[in-house]
Amino acid sequence: MAVQESAAQLSMTLKVQEYPTLKVPYETLNKRFRAAQKNIDRETSHVTMVVAELEKTLSSCPAVDSVVSLLDGVVEKLSVLKRKAVESIQAEDESAKLCKRRIEHLKEHSSDQPAAASMWKRKRMDRMMVEHLLRCGYYNTAVKLARQSGIEDLVNIEMFLTAKEVEESLERRETATCLAWCHDNKSRLRKMKDLLDPARWRMLIQQFRYDNYRLHQLGNNSVFTLTLQAGLSAIKTPQCYKEDGSSKSPDCPVCSRSLNKLAQPLPMAHCANSRLVCKISGDVMNENNPPMMLPNGYVYGYNSLLSIRQDDKVVCPRTKEVFHFSQAEKVYIM
Amino acid sequence: MEQCASVEREVDKVLQKFLTYGQHCEQSLEELLHHVGQLRAELASAALQGTPLSATLSLVMSQCCRKIKDTVQKLASDHKDIHSSVSRVGKAIDRNFDSEICGVVSDAVWDSREKQQQILQMAIVEHLYQQGMLSVAEELCQESTLNVDLDFKQPFLELNRILEALHEQDLGPALEWAVSHRQRLLELNSSLEFKLHRLHFIRLLAGGPEKQLEALSYARHFQPFARLHQREIQVMMGSLVYLRLGLEKSPYCHLLDNSHWAEICETFTRDACSLLGLSVESPLSVRTLPRVPDRWQCAGLLSACWALGLAAPAPALFCSFASGCVALPVLMNIKAVIEQRQCTGVWSHKDELPIEIELGMKCWYHSVFACPILRQQTSDSNPPIKLICGHVISRDALNKLINGGK
Repeated sequence: MAVQESAAQLSMTLKVQEYPTLKVPYETLNKRFRAAQKNIDRETSHVTMVVAELEKTLSSCPAVDSVVSLLDGVVEKLSVLKRKAVESIQAEDESAKLCKRRIEHLKEHSSDQPAAASMWKRKRMDRMMVEHLLRCGYYNTAVKLARQSGIEDLVNIEMFLTAKEVEESLERRETATCLAWCHDNKSRLRKMKDLLDPARWRMLIQQFRYDNYRLHQLGNNSVFTLTLQAGLSAIKTPQCYKEDGSSKSPDCPVCSRSLNKLAQPLPMAHCANSRLVCKISGDVMNENNPPMMLPNGYVYGYNSLLSIRQDDKVVCPRTKEVFHFSQAEKVYIM
Repeated sequence: MEQCASVEREVDKVLQKFLTYGQHCEQSLEELLHHVGQLRAELASAALQGTPLSATLSLVMSQCCRKIKDTVQKLASDHKDIHSSVSRVGKAIDRNFDSEICGVVSDAVWDSREKQQQILQMAIVEHLYQQGMLSVAEELCQESTLNVDLDFKQPFLELNRILEALHEQDLGPALEWAVSHRQRLLELNSSLEFKLHRLHFIRLLAGGPEKQLEALSYARHFQPFARLHQREIQVMMGSLVYLRLGLEKSPYCHLLDNSHWAEICETFTRDACSLLGLSVESPLSVRTLPRVPDRWQCAGLLSACWALGLAAPAPALFCSFASGCVALPVLMNIKAVIEQRQCTGVWSHKDELPIEIELGMKCWYHSVFACPILRQQTSDSNPPIKLICGHVISRDALNKLINGGK
């Protein structure tokens, strides 16, 4: 892997990139917890009601038949409570398990097996690309990519698809789906007004922002986009944009066709320290491969000059001028 | 790492609570239902006998009612108690991860130009082709109504087609490819063509004694490789002796190993990648191969590499993204510091990042010369100058030194 990322660096990156990865399933967990509580409360009150009726009847010397039928009622309500409780707990447990799965995946970033670490990084990029594609509205592509990369559990496709449904129904001048969404998120919406919790607002804003962007065709600044911009800037040098294209490097990502255009409006990398790369071999020029300057001013690595030396002469790859090997002078870069 | 551990701790607690609660809930309700069921049975038999409700039974039932009320109300409140654990998960996430991410540059830099968005989409499509994710790439082209050059697609499609054939043990397309790229493969010291012939030969051998003549006649394909692969050819010719007996029982049984197929896919992938100038990293060693121009136009066969357990070659988009993963937090931090200390003047050149990003030596694609005296990158208008002693400084620095009277 060309780019070196230390454990500390990876940790810092997780911090800025992975909030949505964890917060979205958490919000689902929260929602399902509230729903579970509501169900349990409701069924509990039903049970309590029929039991109260039974108690009242008992205190007034009832006929056996009526007691039996009331008991049947109690059994029924208890069974409903049991069923609903089990269902609700299953649902909350499921979303808690999803949170767990995602955390476990994130932890793998620090695997000491290079193959696993490499795989994690590839999946990271795929995850961010899926989110980016969803923001752009390319749902089928996003779903396909998620499936092929084996990251379906790790991306928030559902959130976007729900928003898409709401939006599409609004486009059809139907308000039912949107209202259903508001109803679905009612308690959260209501609480947000009350509690003014910034994090909650942000989550909701993210959801609505997505809708707004699509409606007004504003830009989509996905994590992917922002990361890519930072990366292109960190690699970009003036040589990627020399007019005659002579200093382009086949290895340099910013020199490649599409990325070259993308990186144009972005700032350049800041380099406080010199580093020289030999044009012939792509190797670094340092004390193991000292930089040598030919009389025409171009600098190459000593090892490269050795490798292209023929009959004690070298041909400058850039200008095709021929020099004696001995004419190459060592230069000192600090 | 601590961030993940922190959140995980809270999630684990919640999971444990759900488990315990779920078990307890089911159990208590089962017990209640059982108890009520018993009572009902007693009552039913009393009803049959026509006896009135006995005082004892009435008392037991009242007690049962109280128990039911207490139990279910406790179930409801026990569930409520889990709420604090649930919200602690959310708080742990908020504490350890940043909810806002900001750009390094002004937000509008790519947005306002539809064209840039399209170029980005194109870069993603190219990346997907390089990954071998052809169907995803096609889908994106459709959804974004992008037209990709057939010229661009062609190499990916061809190489993936060959690999698919190899997976189905069809050597034909791979052989064709190897023959047409023979010269360049030889320059790379690749033995792909020979290996393909060898595999075909072995497959014939596996067909038993009836295939002997065919195998013999196929052996003429080895002739051009006689010098380089003498030993291996001898082994294969030797195995013919055991054809009647059955190769599996002979000292040559290793030839029938299935691993040959996996090996050929790997060889083909490596050689195709090297031919097209891509560096392939394997988890065990790093091999950089001789560079060839127009490298970034070629097929990467990344998914094949992944399938074979080879680490991916590093195509442009992937590299840029990975660099961004390193750069982003650094830049966000410094932006925050600059804003906090209100010294926005520090980031005065909007055309250069305010801080150096360490990406490692493998990301040094271009030479960069920073004047050791003035600590600035040189440019066309301020080029590096070599002094007689061999040291190099920028022209501006040289002028400063001269004017300083030294």
